[in-house]
Amino acid sequence: MIAQGRESSRVPWRSVASVVGLLIVWEASARAHLTPVLFLPPVSEVVDQLWHSITDGTLARDLSLSLARAFSGLLLGTVAGVMVGLLMARNRVIEWLADPLVALGFPSPKIAFIPIFILWFGIASLSKILLVAFACIFPVVIGTYSAARSVNRLFLWSAMSLGSGRASLFLHVILPACYPRIFTTFRIAVPVGLITTFTAEMVAGGGGMGATLIYSQRFFESPTVFAYILVMLGVGLVLDTAMRKFQSHFLNWAEEAGV
Amino acid sequence: MPNRRKGTLAAALRLMGRALPLVLFGVVWQVVVSSGLINREFLPPPTAVAVAFADLFTGGDIAKNLFVTLFRAGAGLLIGAACGVWIGVMMARSQRFKDYVMPIVGGTYSLPKSALIPLFALWFGIGNVTAIAAVFLACLLPMIVNTYHGVMTTPKVLVWSAQALGTTRREVWSRVYLRNALPDIFTGLRIALGFSFVLAISAEMIASTNGIGKLIFMYGENGTYDYMFAAIACVVIVAFFADRGLLLITRRLLGWHESAVADHDRRRA
Amino acid sequence: MLDVVRPKIDIRGVSKTYASERGPVLALRGTDLTVNEGEFVSIVGPSGCGKSTLLYVVGGFLEADGQVIIDGAPITGPGTDRGIVFQEYALFPWLTVRDNIGYGLERQGLPAIDCEKIIDRLIGVIGLAGFDNRFPRELSGGMKQRVAIARTLARDPAILLLDEPFGALDAQTREIMQDELLRIWLETRKTVLLVTHDVTEAVFLSNRICVMSARPGQIIEEFAVALDRERPREELVLSADFNTIRNEVWLSVRRQALAAGQQNAEPS
Repeated sequence: MIAQGRESSRVPWRSVASVVGLLIVWEASARAHLTPVLFLPPVSEVVDQLWHSITDGTLARDLSLSLARAFSGLLLGTVAGVMVGLLMARNRVIEWLADPLVALGFPSPKIAFIPIFILWFGIASLSKILLVAFACIFPVVIGTYSAARSVNRLFLWSAMSLGSGRASLFLHVILPACYPRIFTTFRIAVPVGLITTFTAEMVAGGGGMGATLIYSQRFFESPTVFAYILVMLGVGLVLDTAMRKFQSHFLNWAEEAGV
Repeated sequence: MPNRRKGTLAAALRLMGRALPLVLFGVVWQVVVSSGLINREFLPPPTAVAVAFADLFTGGDIAKNLFVTLFRAGAGLLIGAACGVWIGVMMARSQRFKDYVMPIVGGTYSLPKSALIPLFALWFGIGNVTAIAAVFLACLLPMIVNTYHGVMTTPKVLVWSAQALGTTRREVWSRVYLRNALPDIFTGLRIALGFSFVLAISAEMIASTNGIGKLIFMYGENGTYDYMFAAIACVVIVAFFADRGLLLITRRLLGWHESAVADHDRRRA
Repeated sequence: MLDVVRPKIDIRGVSKTYASERGPVLALRGTDLTVNEGEFVSIVGPSGCGKSTLLYVVGGFLEADGQVIIDGAPITGPGTDRGIVFQEYALFPWLTVRDNIGYGLERQGLPAIDCEKIIDRLIGVIGLAGFDNRFPRELSGGMKQRVAIARTLARDPAILLLDEPFGALDAQTREIMQDELLRIWLETRKTVLLVTHDVTEAVFLSNRICVMSARPGQIIEEFAVALDRERPREELVLSADFNTIRNEVWLSVRRQALAAGQQNAEPS
C-alpha cells in the first residue's frame, strides 16, 4: 500500500535522471528560444556567468560578506538565546517577564523589523547581524527552555543520589542533556539566519549576495540572478549536510539515551 | 453557574498576569524616551505610536494594505498547502514518484525562498503574482515533508485492522492514512503560516507597490517613524493572532490526539 | 459414510522470507496447520519464532509461499471473515469508542438503526457503558483492548485471530480479559486462532495448543487440551490436570527457547 518499492540502489538513478532531465529541458528551451532569454537564460550562460563571478572575485566578496553577517548573527542569537532559555528555565521571574515577549516574537515575521534596524544601525553589516540575531533568538530560546524543563527526572534523581549539588546538577546533567535539542534548534536557526541575511540585503542594500542579486534583477542581468540563486542553494545544501554529519557524529548518544 | 463564572474570571486574570510584562515594557519604553535617554528621533514614545496606530485604523491605510498582504499570504498558503499535501501523499504512495521528485524537494529545502523573489520579479513583474508565487513555494515544502511523514508513520496494524473490517484499498487512503497524518499536516500548516507572512512581507518590501511590507518600508523612507512602528506593531499582532487562531482550530479538530492532552498539561506545569 | 468435515482453516506449507539489513531472513518454513470450526487453537513458542507472522499470513496481511485455505477457498488478502485483534489495540485514535466499534458495520453499509443496536449491545457486553463518546487516548489499556475486541466482534467474523492480545496489560487485567474472552467464545463458539507467549493463558483458553519451533518456524508439537471450562478460574488453574498439561507445554516451549538461544549464540 505504502511505497515499498525496490530497495533504492546505491546510485539513485531516478533522482539523477530527474535533475538531468530538468537541466536538459531548461537548456533546450532556452536555446530554442521557446522561452524569452531574459526569463530563462541557457544553463551554459548561467554557468559562464558563475565562472566569471568566481574568477573576478565578486562572488567571493559577496558570499564572504553575507556568510560573515549570517554567522555573526547566528552566533550572537544562539548564545543569547541559550542563555535566556536556561535562565527562563531556572528562574520564575525571568520566565514571567520573557514569556509574553517570546510568545509575541516567535510567530511574527522578523523581516518586518528591518526598517527599525536600519534606522538604528544603518545599512552596513551591523544592522543585518543584529537582525539575524533577533530572528534566531526566538526559536533558540523556546527550544532551550523546553529542553531544560523536560530533562528526564530520572537523570536528575540519579545524579542527586550520587551526590550532585544544585550547581553541579545544572552544569553536568541539565546542560549536557540539552545539547542535542539546542543543536537541533541551531540547525533550524541556520536557514533562518541565511534567509534573513539575504532578504535584509535585498531590501536595504549594503553589499552581500542579496544586494547583488537585486541589482542584477533591476538591470535585467538574468544569468547573474540565476547564478547567485544557485550559489545560495549550494551554500544551504553544504551547511545542512555538514550539520547533519556533525550531529550524527557527536550527538548520536542522544537517540538511544532517550534525551 | 457561579463555578463557571469563577473559572472564566480566573482565566482572564491569569491572562492579564501573563501580559503584564508587556505593560511594564511599555512603561520602561515611555520613561526611556521621555527622559531623553534615547533620542526621540530613533525611538518614538509609545504614546505617539499609539496615536499613529489609531489614525491608521480610522484612516484606512492599514486596513487596505493589510488586506492585500493577507490576501497574498492566504492565497499562497492555501494553494501551497493543497499541493503540498497532494505531493506528500503521492510520494508516500509511489516509490517511483518519490525518487523522481526527491531531488527537487530536497533541493528547494536548502534554498532560502526569498532568494527567488528577484527571479519572480523578473518573470512576473511587481505585484501580486510575485508575492503569491514566493509564498506558494515557501509553504509547499513543510506541507510535503509533514504530510509524507504523517502518512509513512501510520502504524501497519491500523491499516490491517481497517482492512479486516471491510475497507477497500482505495478507502484506506482517506480513512486511515490521511486521518493519521492530520496532526502532522497541521503542524506543517503552522510552519507554513509563519512562512506565508515572512515571504509576503519580504516580497512587498522588495518588489511591490502596496501591502503592509511596502507601507512599513515607505514610512521608514519618509521618516514618519511613529507610523512605521505602528505598522510593525500591527503586523506582529496579526501574526500572533493568526498563529493562535490556527492552534485553536487544530485543538478543536484534533481533540482526539494525545498532543492535545500534552499541550494542556504543559501549560499547567 | 460421513464426509470428512472440511477444516475451517487449512494452512499448507506456508513459508515466509523477510528482507532485512543482514540479508533475507526465513521466518516460517513449510508450516502446516489445520483448525476445525469452533476450535480454539493457541500457537505458542519462543520469541521471534514467527508465530505472529503466521497469524498475519492467515489474516491475509502478508504474502507468503504456500497456501492458506479458508472454508475450502484459498485467501487472496484481508477479509471480513477473519477478524483480527492486535497487541497494540490498533484502535483508530480519531474515532470515539462508539465509532470504533461501529466502523466495520459502517463499511458493511448497515442502516444506522441496526448499527446503533449492535453497538449498544456490544458496549454492554464489554462493560463500557457510559464511555461511548470517549477517545482511545482517554482509555486504559484494558479498556482499549475491550473496545478492540468489540470492534472485531461487531462484524461477526467466523474466525477470530488474536495476536498476543493481552501482552501489553498488567497481570490482573490480563486474567480478567482472559475470562472475558473465554466467556465470549463459549457463547459464540467461533473459530479462534490465538498467538501468545503465555503458556498458562494458552492452556486456560484453548482446546488445542500448537508449539512452534525456533526460527524458521514450524509446528513442532501439538497438545490437545480437554478441560472442563465451566469451572471457575480458581478451581481450574489450581487443579492437577490443568497443571499437568501446562507443565508439558511449558517444557516443550522451553526446549524450543533453548534451541533458539543456542542459535543466537552461535556466530551466524
